[in-house]
Amino acid sequence: MPVFKTPFNGYSVKFSPFYEDRLAVATSQNFGILGNGRLHVLSLSPNPSQPFTEIAAYDTADGIYDVSWSESHDSLLVAAVADGSVKLYDTALPPTSNPIRSLREHTREVHSADYNPLRRDSFLTSSWDDTVKLWTLDRPSSIRTFKEHSYCVYSAVWNPRHADVFASASGDCTLRVWDVREPSSTMVFPPHEFEVLTCDWNKYDDCIIATASVDKSIKVWDVRSFRVPIAVMNGHGYAVRKVRFSPHVRNLLVSCSYDMTVCVWDFMVEDALVSRYDHHTEFAVGVDMSVLVEGLMASTGWDELVYVWQHGTDPRAL
Amino acid sequence: MSTNSPPQNQGAESAQPAANVDQQGATATEEPVKQSSSPSVFVNSEPMREEQVQNAVKFLSHPRVKGSPVMYRRSFLEKKGLTKEEIDEAFRRVPDSAPTVQTGGVSQDGQVKSSSNIQQQAQPQALQPGLPASTGVNTSSATLSRSRFHWSHALIAIGVLAASGAGTAIVAKNSILPRLKSWIRKVVVEDDEELKKVDRKPTLVEEAAQAAKSAAAAAADVAKASQDMLISKEEERKHFVEVVSLLDKQVQEMKSMTNALRRMEGQDLRITQTNTKQLLVNGNGKADYDLHSVRSTSPPVSYEPPSSLNPKSYMEIMNMVQRGEKPSNTRSWEVGQVQNSSTQVLQAQGSGEYLNSMAQDSTQSNGDGDDALPWWQKKNARIREIDNENEYNGNGSSYGAASYQPPPQRTWVPPQPPPIAMAEAAEAIRRPKPAAQKDQTSDTQSVGNSSDVSDEVTRIPRRSESEGVVEGGSTSSIPSSVEIQEDQELKQE
Repeated sequence: MPVFKTPFNGYSVKFSPFYEDRLAVATSQNFGILGNGRLHVLSLSPNPSQPFTEIAAYDTADGIYDVSWSESHDSLLVAAVADGSVKLYDTALPPTSNPIRSLREHTREVHSADYNPLRRDSFLTSSWDDTVKLWTLDRPSSIRTFKEHSYCVYSAVWNPRHADVFASASGDCTLRVWDVREPSSTMVFPPHEFEVLTCDWNKYDDCIIATASVDKSIKVWDVRSFRVPIAVMNGHGYAVRKVRFSPHVRNLLVSCSYDMTVCVWDFMVEDALVSRYDHHTEFAVGVDMSVLVEGLMASTGWDELVYVWQHGTDPRAL
Repeated sequence: MSTNSPPQNQGAESAQPAANVDQQGATATEEPVKQSSSPSVFVNSEPMREEQVQNAVKFLSHPRVKGSPVMYRRSFLEKKGLTKEEIDEAFRRVPDSAPTVQTGGVSQDGQVKSSSNIQQQAQPQALQPGLPASTGVNTSSATLSRSRFHWSHALIAIGVLAASGAGTAIVAKNSILPRLKSWIRKVVVEDDEELKKVDRKPTLVEEAAQAAKSAAAAAADVAKASQDMLISKEEERKHFVEVVSLLDKQVQEMKSMTNALRRMEGQDLRITQTNTKQLLVNGNGKADYDLHSVRSTSPPVSYEPPSSLNPKSYMEIMNMVQRGEKPSNTRSWEVGQVQNSSTQVLQAQGSGEYLNSMAQDSTQSNGDGDDALPWWQKKNARIREIDNENEYNGNGSSYGAASYQPPPQRTWVPPQPPPIAMAEAAEAIRRPKPAAQKDQTSDTQSVGNSSDVSDEVTRIPRRSESEGVVEGGSTSSIPSSVEIQEDQELKQE
């Protein structure tokens, strides 16, 4: 299975929604504390001797914490940069004209970026300045700012079935569900007693959302009855950094954690842990499942490696 | 769809009974219909819980809470699981708290954000965006007009002050200052004379006191040193006595053996004697080695990773950043900000490397660590013990390849320091008397100690070494490190 070594510590990996062999990796130098960042666009090749080819690499002045592919253009990327800027890249343009836009509105580090898969014209960025901002590609400034959290917003994710609904997970231990048509959040509840680091909607059931937190657990909720979780999944040894629902299997979700493992869970089953991969030798902070290829997943971590493998196989196998 | 919130709430409330039924009945057929019309699924459809609201009211009425920012109060209530409606209701019931629903608003950059801020301060609840925006604009213009007057007033005032200041400065220079200076000179002269007289007396007294103190200290040191010398001499004597007794025993054994041999065979005494001599030598060597076994090693050179090494661990980089250094591998074109809140994000509970570096840092920070020292040495000690045993078992044939200090001659005890652990064990097993002595000395020394208990605790194993060192020191040339150690001990105490 292909492994790619990045020069900096990996932070996020995302498969392209257009090409099944393409993925983007966001990396930051010095673990993202202080230093530069680099955005890699990689292509998987069937050639076993050179499994990855780097289509493009863009350097930034500060670390990149997250990347998101555009749903409207196959070569566009949105990068969430640690200096508070949001940068747009176009791989079809030469590197000298990249980034095509640098949007500077957040006052703290931008932690996540998510592109609207339904409307395809807008994207969200969430930041440590407690806000979530809504942008479109054509405007140089944000359309809306959602400021209700009282601490860093670690993740903002669009609902895959409702074009105007999104959820935000924050360090103030709450999860908020928003509707862009509403002036304020429509729902707020505390899924964990500690900071909620990530959230993701189920791709098949539009009211189900998974959250994961510093308390090492992953909880799956139905927003209609949010007092009690549908499922609680323990098993990680440390804080869970990212959670992603599978686009192919209704009940499957994948998580990565500071215990250096990537785990796959089935939350409808009593013994939820399906498989555990411990290929990383440092914090595993980014994970993604491909929409185009069933079972294909990628992960990256602070050990500067990006693995791409098929679910059920060993990521380190050649 | 620009719907105002009050009608929205009514719509949601009307959907509540249906939603409640859904929660109980769990039929999702009605949901899709509602979703197409209004996103009521993503709205909290529970009725307000009165108990929660009352708890919130108590919380908000607490005097301490009233001093805290409103954001924190809201955030606290949200963390407790209250819904928006419940929180708003609680704020409504507690009259003087400023309930703010912080609206996103239709914002286009900073202007409307500031107006929304003004809006928050002025009026509670989300209202139609038109009116508050206009009032905000009006108030801002009024303040601007007032401020213009303030600026001109300020300029005039500054000019007047400057002129008056200049005038007073001139006056002072010409008339007041010379008078002051002459007065001050007189006073200073008088003071100096007084001080000189006064100083002479106290300096004499002080000097005498200091001399006395130093003399006393010196006397105390001398007394201590002489005491230690006496103690060490006594212990050496005791060692001698025991060695002699051991030798006597061995001699007796030899005699008995030789007698037995004579009786049995009456053969060459020389052969037997040489054998026994070898045994003696071995035995002596061993005894001597044990005697000199208690010597502490010099602490290992503490290893600090050079800062230019790549790759560095997370903790090293954090430390560098906190010290203000920049990691060397960054290229700066727009200087990035230090993310000192990364610790908040990463509730780091350790990767492998991170934990190891933490451990390293902690041991290094203990400074030639008390922790690092014995642990490291204990390990080596065990290895040495085994090696030495092997050597002896091999009848002295193997001049241990594994030994760390190649001993040139068997009989002569190597001056190199052996392990602490062995020393303690040896001491404990062989000598109860020195243990008693140790207690005495440790008592006398601990009286002099004014420092913490922890120091004493860590000191005790060291004291045992020093005692042992002193014991062993008499039988062979004392290496200087021992004395230095002792001196250090004394100084530290």
